[in-house]
Amino acid sequence: MIQARFGAAGTWLIAGITAACLGAILCLFGLLAAAGLAPFWPSAISELQLHDGRSLLGEIVREDSASAIDPALAIRTSESAHMGSAYQRIRLDQIAARTQPADAILIALTDGRRLFARGDAAQETSLLAEAAAPASVLEVLRPNALGFGQRCAVFVQHLVRFLATAPAASNLVGGVLPALLGTLTLVLLMSLIVMPFGVATAIYLHRRRGFGVRFVRTAINQLAGVPSIVYGVLGLGLFVHGLGAGIDRLFYSERLPVPTFGSGGLLWAALTLALLTLPVVVVSVEEGLARIPASLREGSLALGATHDETLWRLLLPAARPALLTGLILAVARAAGAVAPLMLVGVVKLAPTLPIDGAFPYLHPSRQFMHLGFSIYDAALASPDTIRGVPRAYACAGLLVGVVLLLNLSAILLRNRLRERYRALET
Amino acid sequence: MLNAAPEFPREAEPSGHTSERAAVALRTQGLCLHYGHRVALSDLDLTIPKQRITALIGPSGCGKSSLLRCLNRLNDEIADARVEGRVFIGATDAYAKDTLVHDLRRRVGMVFQRPNPFPLSIHDNVAYGLRLLGIRRRRELDERIEAALKAAALWDEVVARLDDSAFSLSLGQQQRLVIARAIAVEPEILMLDEPASALDPAATLRFEELLHELAQRYTLLLVTHNMQQAARVSDFTAFLHQGRLIEFGETDAVFTNPRERQTEDFITGRYG
Repeated sequence: MIQARFGAAGTWLIAGITAACLGAILCLFGLLAAAGLAPFWPSAISELQLHDGRSLLGEIVREDSASAIDPALAIRTSESAHMGSAYQRIRLDQIAARTQPADAILIALTDGRRLFARGDAAQETSLLAEAAAPASVLEVLRPNALGFGQRCAVFVQHLVRFLATAPAASNLVGGVLPALLGTLTLVLLMSLIVMPFGVATAIYLHRRRGFGVRFVRTAINQLAGVPSIVYGVLGLGLFVHGLGAGIDRLFYSERLPVPTFGSGGLLWAALTLALLTLPVVVVSVEEGLARIPASLREGSLALGATHDETLWRLLLPAARPALLTGLILAVARAAGAVAPLMLVGVVKLAPTLPIDGAFPYLHPSRQFMHLGFSIYDAALASPDTIRGVPRAYACAGLLVGVVLLLNLSAILLRNRLRERYRALET
Repeated sequence: MLNAAPEFPREAEPSGHTSERAAVALRTQGLCLHYGHRVALSDLDLTIPKQRITALIGPSGCGKSSLLRCLNRLNDEIADARVEGRVFIGATDAYAKDTLVHDLRRRVGMVFQRPNPFPLSIHDNVAYGLRLLGIRRRRELDERIEAALKAAALWDEVVARLDDSAFSLSLGQQQRLVIARAIAVEPEILMLDEPASALDPAATLRFEELLHELAQRYTLLLVTHNMQQAARVSDFTAFLHQGRLIEFGETDAVFTNPRERQTEDFITGRYG
């Protein structure tokens, strides 16, 4: 049909554009996977012999191609003072020889510093003793001596540590567990808030007719186009400074001026995101309700069901695939929104987790960390870009992974439901 | 509640058959239905006898289905539908202010033209109406579901797969399922809107046998396009044309010796 209307050239154009879109998506995932996973791979330790007789031991973190005007490389040598203090730029023509000695040792410290040395086990022990203070040793590796299998094992170990530990050294090293937990808790709480409101609104719009309803529907559709940062401002003014401050005055007055709910926190961020995602939920649920054939509704009414009974027992269950579609869209939009969160509760480093073992387990007033914000923080606000940028990629990859995982589970659930309701659509 | 003994309007009284006067299941008095400015039914006086099969015949668009939807007030759901006149279900005035619509609809069951099983299991389809009645006990539910499915001649085919989706059934089975669903709540009248139009000939034949069995217990009101079916199945026949009741009488009488010219033309296939 496309061919009939556009001719062969048009078909190729459309195919090309589609291919370009697919290519862009593949590039995105490829980039995130490659750049995001690279920092976990145990990199080799190089030793450079320079023409002036110096010798440098460390990781080469960046290298220009030989065709550049002034080709050079950057090497990170032992950071004995503090993290990020030992980068050196070496012009390629300064280098006499380059080796990767098998006895090179990497000592990673918990404060993020990396120390390099060469030697046998005895030297390693003495090195450890002197290096440790004041931080403790995180791991000791001889990366050049590792075989491929061992490197893979180290890679997995690094990956697990990234997912399962807290960050250190102002977010430049260590794991992202708090951010991951914060993101998941936030999305979950947002879903719990937005679904009842969205579904109730959709039911109202579905039932009523007339000018008022058309106005409300148009208004809701317009809300979908409001930039997300505006919702952040709204959340700050309405929830944090309005509602939160009010709650503090009423219930936590003994703690004032230290705010409890009167500062950004998980609950306010979830509410803000719920506002942000309300339009997509309303629209998809209302469409889902409208798609249910009238014969089902009439069949239920003809059996003596009231409108409410028909809604609860038949229409809403039959609209569950649409509810899930709404939820998927909401989660995707919410997980990607960082700007509003910066106004209502996301912080660079939160001292506590939003969920922990202490009663009441979920702490809605606490500030929290978020993967989206971690990306921004690592890429743009870190003092050490050589460490920060790969970390931003890793966080981005993880965020995409989390969203994909959430969506995938919702899609699988929806497909199982659709299977049941497929006969309705014919 | 109105409980005045309904009187037979002269012109709608079943002709012939004077030996026994059948009890009345349903009666309309001067029933008019408008959709906006369009008149769908005008001044309809009809009396449906109890525990008989009454066929409604007439050309497309003559108001047969609209009439059914008046009787269980399903037209209430259509925004611009307006009903005048009176409908008595037994002794209840269907359009009286104090009549509970959902209660009325339970008493007047309806089977639609296309089978419309709910997206639930076979069991839950039949249980739907029972649960609306507040029946929660597993045993009572199961007993009544079994009875309804047996009455709809479906039990033997589905007993092994009651928890399967209703959509896994064939069209004919689905139609019997929605009949089971309708009779599970023990209606007084069962209205069927061209129930056999989606069925193949073999299924139609079985279906007509089922109608005869159902007529032992229920008053059936059957809309059909199929003259032979009306002749085969029904005890009484009403012929509607352009929203008016042209003729009503015993099926044999209507088909062999129609009083009205229009009826004869329609039955012999000169139009419609």
